[in-house]
Formats: sequence, structure tokens, C-alpha cells
Amino acid sequence: MTWKRTMTGLLWISPWLIGFACFTVLPLVLGVWYSMTDWTLLEAPVAVGMEHYTRMLHDEVVHAATRNTLVYIVITIPLLTVVSIALAMLLSRPARFIAFWRVAVFAPSVLPLVALATIFKLMYDGELGVINRGLEATGLRGPGWFTDETWAMVAIILMNLWVVGPAMVIYLASLRDVPRDLHEAASIDGVGWWGRLVHVTLPMISPVILFNVIIGLVNAAQVFVVPYIMTGGGPNRATYFWSMYVYDAAFRYGDMGYASALGVVQFLAILLLTIGLLLIGRRFVFYRGAVS
Amino acid sequence: MRESPGSLVRTVLLCVLALVAVGYALLGPRPSTSGSDDRIVLNYWEKWTGTEAAAMQRVVEAFNASQDRIHVNYLTMSSIDEKAMLSIAGGAPPDVLGLWSFNLPFYAQADAILPLDLPGITAETYAPAVRPLVFDGDRQLAGVNTCSSVALYVNLDHLDRAGLSGGDGDRPQTLEEFDRMVGPLSIVEHGEVVQAGFLHMDPGWWHWCWPGYFGGKLYDVETDTATIDSPENVEAFTWFQRGQRRYGRDALRRFQSAPTDNPSPYRNFLTGRLSMTIQGPWMARVIAESAPKLNWAAWPLPGPVGSPEAPAGPIECDILVVPRGAPHPDEAMEFIAFTQRQDMVELVSSLHAKPSPLMEVSESFRLEHPNHSIAAHEAILHSPNGFGTPPLAGWPELNAALTAGVDRIWNGDEDVATVLAEVQSEVEAQLERARIRRERRNQPRFGTGP
Repeated sequence: MTWKRTMTGLLWISPWLIGFACFTVLPLVLGVWYSMTDWTLLEAPVAVGMEHYTRMLHDEVVHAATRNTLVYIVITIPLLTVVSIALAMLLSRPARFIAFWRVAVFAPSVLPLVALATIFKLMYDGELGVINRGLEATGLRGPGWFTDETWAMVAIILMNLWVVGPAMVIYLASLRDVPRDLHEAASIDGVGWWGRLVHVTLPMISPVILFNVIIGLVNAAQVFVVPYIMTGGGPNRATYFWSMYVYDAAFRYGDMGYASALGVVQFLAILLLTIGLLLIGRRFVFYRGAVS
Repeated sequence: MRESPGSLVRTVLLCVLALVAVGYALLGPRPSTSGSDDRIVLNYWEKWTGTEAAAMQRVVEAFNASQDRIHVNYLTMSSIDEKAMLSIAGGAPPDVLGLWSFNLPFYAQADAILPLDLPGITAETYAPAVRPLVFDGDRQLAGVNTCSSVALYVNLDHLDRAGLSGGDGDRPQTLEEFDRMVGPLSIVEHGEVVQAGFLHMDPGWWHWCWPGYFGGKLYDVETDTATIDSPENVEAFTWFQRGQRRYGRDALRRFQSAPTDNPSPYRNFLTGRLSMTIQGPWMARVIAESAPKLNWAAWPLPGPVGSPEAPAGPIECDILVVPRGAPHPDEAMEFIAFTQRQDMVELVSSLHAKPSPLMEVSESFRLEHPNHSIAAHEAILHSPNGFGTPPLAGWPELNAALTAGVDRIWNGDEDVATVLAEVQSEVEAQLERARIRRERRNQPRFGTGP
């Protein structure tokens, strides 16, 4: 009976298992193999050992892509975390039209990133864009968003805030789960708003923060669509990210072996960073009901 | 233990689903290889959309109507070079592929396209600058769909207002004369550029071309070496950087603070913010559609190399190839041979507002051409000083390295020679990797064919 139940269960999830094996495990294994070959896609791969990995050490483009990706991760994740928690706290309070405000914050996340990036590209336009026009109206001179190396990165990071919805919704749900009696007890003890936030709210939602930070890290480390559409990686590779190099190496330069090696390193980097976050989480994350 | 009705339903449902899946896999649709009237169906993938795609559609229709043995199925798409690569690698390519001339070395190097045998067509059929873009030695690897050269488009009303004559006989003959024209056409008020005379990076598509006007090149085919930091190239990019310094970096950043295609790559010229720009011959069609009242002319951009009789300028081609593994290679070549007929070439070139890539050009083609300055483009095309992109399989990667260097030169105050030396070093590493790759496969280098 147990065997039969197991087989029935496996049969029901077999579409997912087959998909996982074909589209995740197999490409991963093949990717590792191809990363050790010289392969243009149009010709048979030739084994080259660790050549691509040693090449990365001296590749200026890898250095630029690594620098940009790290800057993006380091700025984006804290910013997204703070903004999404702040929005969740605002939207967790009773207010008129609260459902509308929640939908308004979440709605941009439903739009395809390609469409959002195209809209923002127009909004950032120095001459016609609504952002610089708005700045002009307040007496400020808007920057050249895409011609200045620093501002190009800022433009991409700011655009990213527009899709804060999914994280905000998760925080909103977790805030509702914070016991009211803890807040009340803290208030009776004379703890102010800031104290309750730091010593009650944040510890209670810390597992959710860790979850969102890990998801944010995985997404930020693979950022591609927005810079690809908005800046193409320029100017002077200032917004050229790791995933863009993987794509270019594979499909523009016909260097699938090197692209695979870049992909493998990206995968390992994300894995290591995630493990690092989980280890940090052991110290700082508070799990209610967990056995120490 | 008896099975419950629910589990029976699940079992039956699973079996039905499995049967449907197996049936679809075994008996599902397959790409057709013959039409409903038993004609051989050729699948032709092309990169154009809109007006340009419609122009080629007319050639396809003419071919389909010309005989009863072959039917061409015409499919237009974006990102065709990537789709082409994947389809060839996957063993399911179309019969005919429409690519860009700069794609050719990569596909040829990998033996991913078939040499063409087109009756009655030789290298001499095409304009001199076109030949190296479709031939590797004696082997023809591609047919030419259309070709274009890049010329200087001038707003004649701006010239009049600035007290400069717009007459064809008074066009600038030297780079110095051209530079002197740019000054009066440039209007800067309170530190802001109101009108620019000429901007090297508007639209910025041909940043690789500047060395060609100065007798420089990016790559030496004979020795397989990069020549990015040659004295001619340093001179060319120093002149390029002066274009930025004329207005000032910050003022230009504000003036050009949009990606070139946002919302249109032609907007500064069409709206009168820019007096002169380099563009391809299709600009005539764009002007007719978007700014029909614009009073314009196109001239070859003068440079240290070239003369009014033999001007310099970049040249590009849209090409047709038969990919390796094409189901019907002979019929595909028959179709490509049809597209190379003078009347077909002139039909599609005229609808694209481009010059003909052929040596033989009919008088009616010139007389009825939608670009009234087509002579300027033809002059470049037939000039010994016309030039294309380097015949390199790794051109996209070289171009990416050059683009980053050009950005630094244009947006910064960096020393041109230093920047080019760094790009040279990056490109040398690329060429060395390409050489090792060829040696591993015992392949000849593209451009050294018999």
C-alpha cells in the first residue's frame, strides 16, 4: 500500500519532476560540462579544461560586470527592504480606500518588466521625459540619466523600486501576524514607536525579511531585462551586469563555452551568498516556537 | 482493498492524458515541406519589419508567381541572428536566411552556411565595396538583398540661416571646410546647446567608421592583427573627441540625455535640433514620412582620405544565405539567384530608398528613386574608399570593446591614445583566442579563401 501510494504521488507530480530534470538538472550538468569546452554552438565542442575559468581572472569585462552587479546588489537589497517594509507598515494601518492603495502599490509588479523598462526609458529622457520636466518645474536641472555613468546606474536602481509590490505584500501579511499583546506590553512599559519597531516588529518579521532578502539577492544577481532595454550596458559598461555578459557571450559572440563558465560562476556565487545569508540569519533571525 | 471511485477516475484521467501526449508526440503537426499544390516549400526568414518587410514581400510574390515548382514561405522576425544560430545548431534551419553582412564571417568560419552557385553571377556583378562583404576569395557565400552607404544629411534651411550656401557645388570638400561649417550652425545659449551643427554620436551607430575617413582601419586582414591604436585611428578619434569639446561635456550630456533610439534615432535631425547627421539612404523615406517639409540634401562626409570623385564612407549589406542543413539547398539558391536579378534588386532597393548593390544600374532606377540624393550614396558605394566592417568572426566582440572605448573618449576627457591602447590590448586578446580556436579545429581564417 505504501509503495502504491508513493508511486501514485510520484505519478501525480511527475510532470513537475520531468520538467525539473529536463529543464533544470540536465542544463545544469550540461552547463558545467560545456563550461570546460570551446563551443560556438555551430560546431562540436572541444574540451579545454579550466581555460575559461582562468580567462575570467584577467577579463576586464568580467571585472566591470562583477563590480556593477555587486554595487547593484549592495544598494538595491537594503533599499528594497526598507521601502517595502515602510510601505507595508503604511498599508497595514486602517485608512480610507486602503484596498485601492494596496492594489496601486502592487499593480506595477503585474506588468511585464520589458514594458516597464520601455516606459521608464521614455520617462528618463533628458529632453522629453517626465522626470526631468518635473525637476525643471521645481527649479532643478535634471541629469543626463543615460549619458552619465553614475546616473545610469541610479536610473536602473530607482526603476527597480517600482516593482516593490511582491515583497511588500509578503511583509504586509507578516505584519498582521505580529502579536498585538507584545506591542501593548511594550507600550505599557513606555517603549515608543521606534523602540517597538526595532525590538518587537522587526524581530517578529525577521524570518520574512530573510526570505525576501534571499529572493532579492537571487533576482538582483541575475538582473538583465531592465539594463538591457534601458541602457544596453552603457555608457562605458557602467551598467553592464553579469547576466548581460552571459547572454552576449552566448548569443552575440558565439562563445557558448565561456558563457557556460560565466553561468556556472554566477550560480556558485549566488549559492554561496545565499548560504552566507542563511548563516547570518541563524544569529539574527527570530523564529517563534523554534527549539533552540 | 477496493479502489474508491475517485482513484478510478484519477487513473482513467491519467491514462487519457498520457495517451493524448503520446499521440501528439507521434502524430502531431510537422513542418510542411510541400505546399497544397505539391510545390516545394522554402522557408525564408528575414529580419525586416514594416515597410522594409513589405518591399521584400513583393520580390517573394514575384518569385512565387514566376514558376510552379517552388513556393517561398516568407517569415519576418526580430533577433534573427540569434534565432538563426539556434536553428542551425538544432538542425532545423530555414532554407534561406536574411542576415547582415557583418554576420557572414562568423557563420562562414563555422561552416554554417553553404557556398552559393548562382548562374551568371560573379564578383564583378556587384559594386566593388560590396564584393568583400559577400565573397570569401572566389567563393560566393551570400546574395545581396540591399546595401547602404552612410552619407552626411544636411538641413539646407539651417545652412541658409547661418549664411552658408547649401548648393551642391559648395558642399565641403575637406574636413577643415566641414569643421568650419559646424561652428556657425551650432547655437549655445546660457551654457545650453540649443542647436548642434554636427554630433559624431548622433545616432552613434557607426562609431567604428571614423578611422576609415582618415585612412585607418581597426584590423589588418593580411597579418591578422588589431590596429586600433594606429596613428591614423588616434587622429580620427581625436577629431571625434573635438566634436564633444566644441559644446562641452556637460552641456552635451544634457542635450543628448536619451538613448539614441528614444523614441526615434532621427529625432534631433527631424526636429531641427541638429543641422547635420550621418545616416543611411533610408533617411529619405523617414523624412518623407515624418518631416516632409524638411529641406535637405545628402553629401559624402569629407575626410583626409577620399575625394569628391572617390569619397570615403561605411558600407553595409543585407544578405541572403543558405544555412547548413537547409532542407532544399538547390531550390534556395534558385530563389536567391532570382533576387539578384537587376529588376528585383532595383525594386527592393527603391522601396527601401537605398542604392543598388549591382554594377549595372538602370536609368529609370535613378530617375524615379525616392532619395533625391542617391548619387551621394552611389558614389561611396562605387568608390575605392568605401569600407565595411572588418571581416572577422569576432566582430561583435571587437565592436563591444571599441564601443566602451568610444564612450570613454566621447563622455570623458581621457587621452585618446591611452584609451585606444587599452582597447587594442583587449582586442589583441580576442584575436589570440580566435586564432587558438581556429587551430583547435584546423580551420582557415575567414578572408583568406582561395
